[in-house]
Amino acid sequence: MRGHVILATAALGALAIAGCGSSGSSSSSSGGAGTGAATKSCVASIGMEGPLTGPVATLGQEQLHFAELALAMDNQANKTKISIVQGDTQLNPAQATTVTQQFTANTKIVAVVGPAGSQEVEAIGPLMARAGLAFISGSATNATLTAGKYPTFFRVVSKDSVQGPQDAHYIISNLHPKALMIVDDQEAYSTGLVSAMTPVFTAAGIKVDHESVSQKTTDFSSLVAKVTPATTVVVLPWQVASNAQQLGRNLAQQHKKAVIFGTDGLFSPGTFTINGSYVSSFGPDITAIPADAAIVAAAKSKYGSFGTFGPPVFAATHVVDEAIASVCKSGNTPSRSNVLAAIKTTNEPASILGQPISFGSSGDLTNGKFFLFKINSAGSYQLIPG
Amino acid sequence: MSLDSQPPPAGPQVGADEWVARQAHRREHLPSWLGVAQVRLERIGWWPRLAIAGLAGSMLPLIGLGGFQLQVGIDALILAMLAVGLNVVVGWAGLLDLGYVAFFGFGAYGFALLSSSQVGIHLSAPASLPVVMVGAAILGLLVGLPSRRLIGDYLAIVTLFFGEAFVEFTNNVAPGTLGGPNGIVGIDPISAFGKQITANTGYYYLLVILLVASMAVLRLLDTSRTGRAWRAVREDPLAAASMTIPVNRVKLMAFAFGAMVAALAGSVFAAQQISVFPTDFDTPYLILIYAGLILGGVGSIAGAVTGALVVTVIYDGLLRSPTDSGYLFYGLILLTLVVKLRPWRRLGAVLAATAALGFAAHAIVGAISASAVAGGPQSTGWIADVLRDWVIVPANPQVPGNYGFVLLVCLLIALVQIKGRWRTILLVPTIYLASFVWETRLVIEPAITRQLMIGAILIVMMIARPQGLLGTRRVEPPT
Amino acid sequence: MAFFFQELVNGVTNGALYALVALGFSMVYGVLKLLNFAHGDLYMVGAFIGYFVIQWFGGPTALTIPVPLLLLIMFILAAGVVGGLGVAIERFAYRPLRDAPRIAPLITAIGVSFFLENAALLLFGAQYRVYNTADFISLSSGIQIGSVTIDSVQIMVLVLGLVLMVGLRELVNRTKLGKQMRAVAADREAAEMLGINVNRTIAATFFLGSALAGVAGVMAGLLFNQVNNTIGFTAGLFAFTAAVVGGIGSLPGAMLGGLLIGLAQSFVTGYISSTYTNLLVFALLIVVMLVRPSGLLGRAQLQKV
Repeated sequence: MRGHVILATAALGALAIAGCGSSGSSSSSSGGAGTGAATKSCVASIGMEGPLTGPVATLGQEQLHFAELALAMDNQANKTKISIVQGDTQLNPAQATTVTQQFTANTKIVAVVGPAGSQEVEAIGPLMARAGLAFISGSATNATLTAGKYPTFFRVVSKDSVQGPQDAHYIISNLHPKALMIVDDQEAYSTGLVSAMTPVFTAAGIKVDHESVSQKTTDFSSLVAKVTPATTVVVLPWQVASNAQQLGRNLAQQHKKAVIFGTDGLFSPGTFTINGSYVSSFGPDITAIPADAAIVAAAKSKYGSFGTFGPPVFAATHVVDEAIASVCKSGNTPSRSNVLAAIKTTNEPASILGQPISFGSSGDLTNGKFFLFKINSAGSYQLIPG
Repeated sequence: MSLDSQPPPAGPQVGADEWVARQAHRREHLPSWLGVAQVRLERIGWWPRLAIAGLAGSMLPLIGLGGFQLQVGIDALILAMLAVGLNVVVGWAGLLDLGYVAFFGFGAYGFALLSSSQVGIHLSAPASLPVVMVGAAILGLLVGLPSRRLIGDYLAIVTLFFGEAFVEFTNNVAPGTLGGPNGIVGIDPISAFGKQITANTGYYYLLVILLVASMAVLRLLDTSRTGRAWRAVREDPLAAASMTIPVNRVKLMAFAFGAMVAALAGSVFAAQQISVFPTDFDTPYLILIYAGLILGGVGSIAGAVTGALVVTVIYDGLLRSPTDSGYLFYGLILLTLVVKLRPWRRLGAVLAATAALGFAAHAIVGAISASAVAGGPQSTGWIADVLRDWVIVPANPQVPGNYGFVLLVCLLIALVQIKGRWRTILLVPTIYLASFVWETRLVIEPAITRQLMIGAILIVMMIARPQGLLGTRRVEPPT
Repeated sequence: MAFFFQELVNGVTNGALYALVALGFSMVYGVLKLLNFAHGDLYMVGAFIGYFVIQWFGGPTALTIPVPLLLLIMFILAAGVVGGLGVAIERFAYRPLRDAPRIAPLITAIGVSFFLENAALLLFGAQYRVYNTADFISLSSGIQIGSVTIDSVQIMVLVLGLVLMVGLRELVNRTKLGKQMRAVAADREAAEMLGINVNRTIAATFFLGSALAGVAGVMAGLLFNQVNNTIGFTAGLFAFTAAVVGGIGSLPGAMLGGLLIGLAQSFVTGYISSTYTNLLVFALLIVVMLVRPSGLLGRAQLQKV
């Protein structure tokens, strides 16, 4: 019996080596027309890195869906044949490194959309730079990422160092709290915003109660019991909207009068509907932008409800698609260097995010806007102007 | 008295001890020339085999592997080191340590703090590695202290919580020093005597050297008095104590050695990744280490390494294009059938019947409803051409795929319970259903599929072959 | 003072939930000496079943049947299905390993737990499923004493939890099945020699324990509203803590442990900071284990030579 096992192990090893060996040659776009006429058909692959499984799989799946949607629409509009290669990072930087190694070794991949987390960007930035591979993130908001360390990094969202203080100032001037509670969800996105906001609050003389719960927590009754009558605002820079909804319910159940102020992760019209809450988002409510009606309809019919993490990835994918298409139009075969150059010169007058897209020299979105919404009693989000 | 005068026993006997079982097990060889080769291989001896394996491993980059394969190799080598270290605690000393990944994390964070700009110290590798390893040994001793008063299951729980506490600690406590969820970035590469390792090839070779060194050291331990003491404590701590073996000290040594190996792996991991984050050291990775160890064989160094290599290849291999993972999936099924189904006629019959069933079912369902077969297999190339008319893939594959998955699990459970002719007959629709579920759900969600495979490995290995691929079967008389 | 009582109420309610899960866990450990890591995932399956029952009957805002009937169906269905699942897991994964070294069923249990979590991810997706209890059980129903509020869902959890715990205790102490369970837990071989059908008793124990976990899952769904494939791991972890702190194998111990963990979580969050809640609960466990390894109400196990 043991001998059979040794035989099987050897066979498995051979299979593995065979599988590894056939890396570059397989998965080519087999199809009738040969690839000789390169100028006629624009064929390329882009990688998509996201937390497709794991703790924030909801966000990752939403991002993937929007990336696929953008790809389908752009392929049709530009008559290109771009395909997506998925890479699951589970929001884990070590896995992001492995996935990135896979992408950089795959010569067909000319650009990458993602990753989702700032830590992952930190982990893969040098690898991407070495391979000259451009990558655009739709949700990595840490301010230090665009300090010049990662020359091939771009993002279509604004950064924490802008959003945090902006939100904090709004809260101070409009909500006038004497004391507030700010809760982070132990993820980098959240803690980054908290450290950007807290100094502004303390400088204004507001008593700040800093709490922290993990994203896996589903019960907030003990936390809510700590909300004193003087605490009028609860700030939740969270990623999981349904957790915030539950906290809001606990607030109502314990008859607390505090108002919830959330950030992008809470933007979820179906899920987070607490009356009187504020949500600040780096992305607009695309359901309210008339130009996006077709996209919204397609997304709703295929994937159901969505929040704010999908549309920026749609924008990022669109930027990449347009870059590839423009390279093809000028008669060249898409490669990493010319796609990178094309992305650098991106100048879209309009996008799904309701604003033009172009990148500064550091990779930041030029004039990234923030949008503030207030939820009314019907649960719908109303844009607060200015 | 020659070994061949007695017929080999049917299996380990109740009441027979482990040494006898090991000897009896070894007498089972393959027939004819394969058996001769096997005997020759075993006669070579452990050390020459280690040398050969080490040489083979270091030749791998030379045959022209690309960047991704190199990364997979590095991942595999790190997992192998961890499996080897875990083998000391779980396999040799019999202590169930469910927080092992925390030692890995300790090594990584320790190196990160000592060799980066986080705290401002920039020790070179020959200075920081020993410090980290000694620290990990001390931590291992501390964690092992409860093992003095706790037996088996209690120790498992305490170590599990230690592992969870580590992740919580590095995530929430002292964010200024430990980085919080942002981790520590900008870790120095491994540098020694003026030279730095920055390329992946360098890390690969370093890991091969470290792995071979660890295996050698542990082998020396295994064949020494300490190894024998570990085995005695594993089998019967009371009897060992009454034989003047210092049970507590022996247990603590197991923890310490396991922790040192893990910390070494962690340091190299940190240097290679240039950054560490708390989520790198969470429970899913622990389960991966266990899967590698269990698959390869608990109690055997070679088994730990082999299992870790196989698990890494499967885990990372499933993330490639649908075509490649299709090869892997169908290849694995075929391999299992080849190994398990004898004689060859039965194998042929099953394959032919499955093919026939597939074509027939596809044709019938296609005739009834066109949308039920509108989707196609996700793979490309020749495998897709073969499959297109064989497997049913509906236009909206998600819901039927889900039902199919549940049905498949039930069928597999039934297959295990039924024996004899009906089992072979039931194999045919099961294989077809497996292919159906693969094409409709599993290949579309490769990330979830590989997690499912790891779980399945653990379950199946424990039930079918608890000694793993290369381990020897333990006999425990019922208490 | 009101703050103290509010935290007390929260702690006791959550404690009742943990106690139910810990009970099932302890029962299984008692008869099989097996730490069933998959127990938390059974709780998760129960929570999903409750969600699907609500959807089946029209969804939280447009229920087609009265609420008490809905709750009854949810609980009974969850208990039945999850109980059956538990029995199947035992039959397939744990029974072949009954005489194997202790490490084997433990690792299989880890494998089963991992497999269940990811199967749920594959089948149901990563999105949190929301019960929206507030839509059919009004938030303002309940008692209010001073500024301490006790929600009606919390009351239901407490009452049902108490009923189940008392019922279980009666079953174990008074009925024939209970006697068989206790016999098998004490000494399996001797019980077999006395004519007790060990396989059937173990299956019944698993059924009961898993059914309790399933009911706890539905209660968690009603109380916390959100269900996805990861809730089993966290709940399972705290249920282990509860069972072990109280004394594993001892049913009153599981209840006491559950209560303690729930209160510890509440008070640490309330009086110290939510950042350290999990860490301090783990620390509490380690301290109890070091000081009194058999748990608070457990009996020290004799080691036979």
